[in-house]
Amino acid sequence: MVVVADAGTLYGLLAVGAGLATGLAGIGAGMGEQGIGAAVVGVVAEEPGFLGKGLFLMLLPETLIIFGLAVSLILMFAWTPFSGIVTP
Amino acid sequence: MLRPVKMSRVVVAGSKNVISPVVEKLHELRLLHIVNYNGSQPQFEMGKPIGKAKEYSEDLIKLRSVTRYLELNKKFPDKAYPESQVLSELDNLLNNVGADVTATYERIVAIDAEVKSKQDQIKALTPLAVLPLPLEAYYGYDSLATFVGTATTSVDADVARVSPVNEIYSGSAKNATFVAVFVPAEKAGEVSSVLSEHGFSETSVPRLEGNVDSAIATLGGSIKSLEGEKVPLQKKLADMKKQYEDLMLATDEYLSMQTQKTEVPLRFAETANAFVIDGYVPADQFSRLKSELESAAGGRLEVSLIADKETDELVEKGEDVPTQMDNPSLVKPYELITRMFAIPEYKEFDPSLLIFVFFPIMFGMILGDIGYGVMSLLTMVLLKKKFKTPGWQQLINVVLISSVWAIIFGIFFGEIFGPLGLWGKVMGQLPEHELEAVKVAGLYFGEGVFGSLGRIGFWPGIDIFPMDRLASNAVLLLIGTSVIIGIIHCSVGSILGIKTELAYGEKKHAYFERLPVMLVQVFFGLLVLGLVIGQMMLVIASAIVILVAMVMLVMGPEGPMGLAHMPFYVSNLISYLRLLAIGLASVGLAFAANQLAFYVVMPMLSGGATDSAEFTIPAIIAGLVVLLAVHFINFLLGILSPFMHPLRLHYVEMFTKFYSNHGGGVEYSPFGHVRRFLKA
Repeated sequence: MVVVADAGTLYGLLAVGAGLATGLAGIGAGMGEQGIGAAVVGVVAEEPGFLGKGLFLMLLPETLIIFGLAVSLILMFAWTPFSGIVTP
Repeated sequence: MLRPVKMSRVVVAGSKNVISPVVEKLHELRLLHIVNYNGSQPQFEMGKPIGKAKEYSEDLIKLRSVTRYLELNKKFPDKAYPESQVLSELDNLLNNVGADVTATYERIVAIDAEVKSKQDQIKALTPLAVLPLPLEAYYGYDSLATFVGTATTSVDADVARVSPVNEIYSGSAKNATFVAVFVPAEKAGEVSSVLSEHGFSETSVPRLEGNVDSAIATLGGSIKSLEGEKVPLQKKLADMKKQYEDLMLATDEYLSMQTQKTEVPLRFAETANAFVIDGYVPADQFSRLKSELESAAGGRLEVSLIADKETDELVEKGEDVPTQMDNPSLVKPYELITRMFAIPEYKEFDPSLLIFVFFPIMFGMILGDIGYGVMSLLTMVLLKKKFKTPGWQQLINVVLISSVWAIIFGIFFGEIFGPLGLWGKVMGQLPEHELEAVKVAGLYFGEGVFGSLGRIGFWPGIDIFPMDRLASNAVLLLIGTSVIIGIIHCSVGSILGIKTELAYGEKKHAYFERLPVMLVQVFFGLLVLGLVIGQMMLVIASAIVILVAMVMLVMGPEGPMGLAHMPFYVSNLISYLRLLAIGLASVGLAFAANQLAFYVVMPMLSGGATDSAEFTIPAIIAGLVVLLAVHFINFLLGILSPFMHPLRLHYVEMFTKFYSNHGGGVEYSPFGHVRRFLKA
């Protein structure tokens, strides 16, 4: 079989991809929380009893980063697509 | 336990002559949740307050203003007073003590205001010191206009241009030129516009006499004497607070109770000679309520139970049956979490018991560290002694129970303040050759052992505990575990959802909205499992069930739109990966802290020593500081995230399946008062 690239390089690219998956998801979640956070602080100033619900609304977009992390974990641990091609 | 307490609808009707003893008894019993009369029936009118309602509320307002001056807050009672003592001291407390407190407080406020105005005067006077004029020279003229203030550039020439007759004094203070301009009154307008071109901004001169410095000194002296007067007054207030705090809170309670009692007839329906009270009482307490009330009223009263069927009609008209959650004392703290979301409706399930089962396990699985678990346990035990209000106690109990689970999972994960390291020192580590063997076989789950027990596992031949959460095999195993917990958690929610919909008589919602969700989630899990273990039969069977569920969703109340929720159901399950992910983050930080302290800071500061025996004392101290700081941050995060995230899993992933879809309920709050500062 043809060696496409050096195994180390491919594994490195895999790691970069995993990093991007978590990192970009994190940025997205952060942008989502930004708006919710501001709104929740506003409501809590008016009505302190809302704090519990507010905190939980804050956590809603955090699912996004979990998705990113799930993809990363699969890339790093569960999926080795290059194992077939890289063996010299 | 999963259901709220069963309630009965009762009607109490009696002669107006016995209204006082009946109200007194009701207040004491604390059983009847009164349904307010809305005035809808022409033959009844709204009730009127009885007794000295007005006096009590006036006294209460007086007392509240005094307690506000003393800055009294609700606190845990130190001692309880008998009602007679409160009554005998009521007059003295409200009039003599109250007047004293008010006068003292008002004097302090007046002193503060005076000090403030004197300070402002000093502020205005200070820059005037650069001008060679006594203070009385600045005011009191009829034909002269005065301008005193700062200017950015020299004003002499321009002022002379518009008003040849003038008198100008200037001097420079810190970083501005200070000027005093005197011109004839009729030139005031022109001069003012000229001055504004020079960036002039006016200062007001206090109406004082004499030399500026001596005026400042006089003001300073009087501020000092005022402050001196204030100190004993503040001490007096503090002493009075100490002396009367409990008595005042007890009086507040007494007056609140009296106002409650005298004003409660406003919620009754009345005719000329009779009153009627509607309300709910826990079904098993009805006979007690009936007998107690009838004996209190001497028979001139009728307490009757309304049949369930009629109650249902009232509920359909919009009356809310109050909910009293019914849980054993161990589960009680978790009602706090339920309550934070919504009070369950009377017909709904009370999810507190489920939270009690799942929440601590999730918390433990995320934190999973013996060190942090013990620390949070100790912190909570200390806090429990400090914060004694019921709300805090419940919250602390929730974290307390969860900490125990964190310790239990810490034993599975082999973590004491981070993985490996300390665990290895306490329990012992796997020998090097065995470690190599499992690594080669791809079965590495960590290197700790349980002392003499060695390693333990649940598959024969593969001993995985204590497990290193950072090892890839452990990560994969925990991904699976998280999703399985998710499926169980969501399924329990779905089952309750089906039962709730049936209780509301919504069969279509139950079988074509709730059931398919559960099928999709369970069989999605099985499908993935089939893919992982390579069982194509399982995959195909699961796929067929999912298709059937999708068809059911299309037939359901939402029609094809129901399918739009499909990604949500799958994302629900993936969401449970946070159980693993947040745990990993916390382990990672703990691991980093240990590595940083023992393998980076200490060797580097000891000049590259590799053996712990060669570490210098300063290096060890620096290392310990780093270690403590990072672990402390991790500990704080380690309490917050494992608390908030399972909370979210309950609220979003589980509650949406069955809870609060019909709007929140009304909490059972019987007429009466829990005595805290008063003896019964």
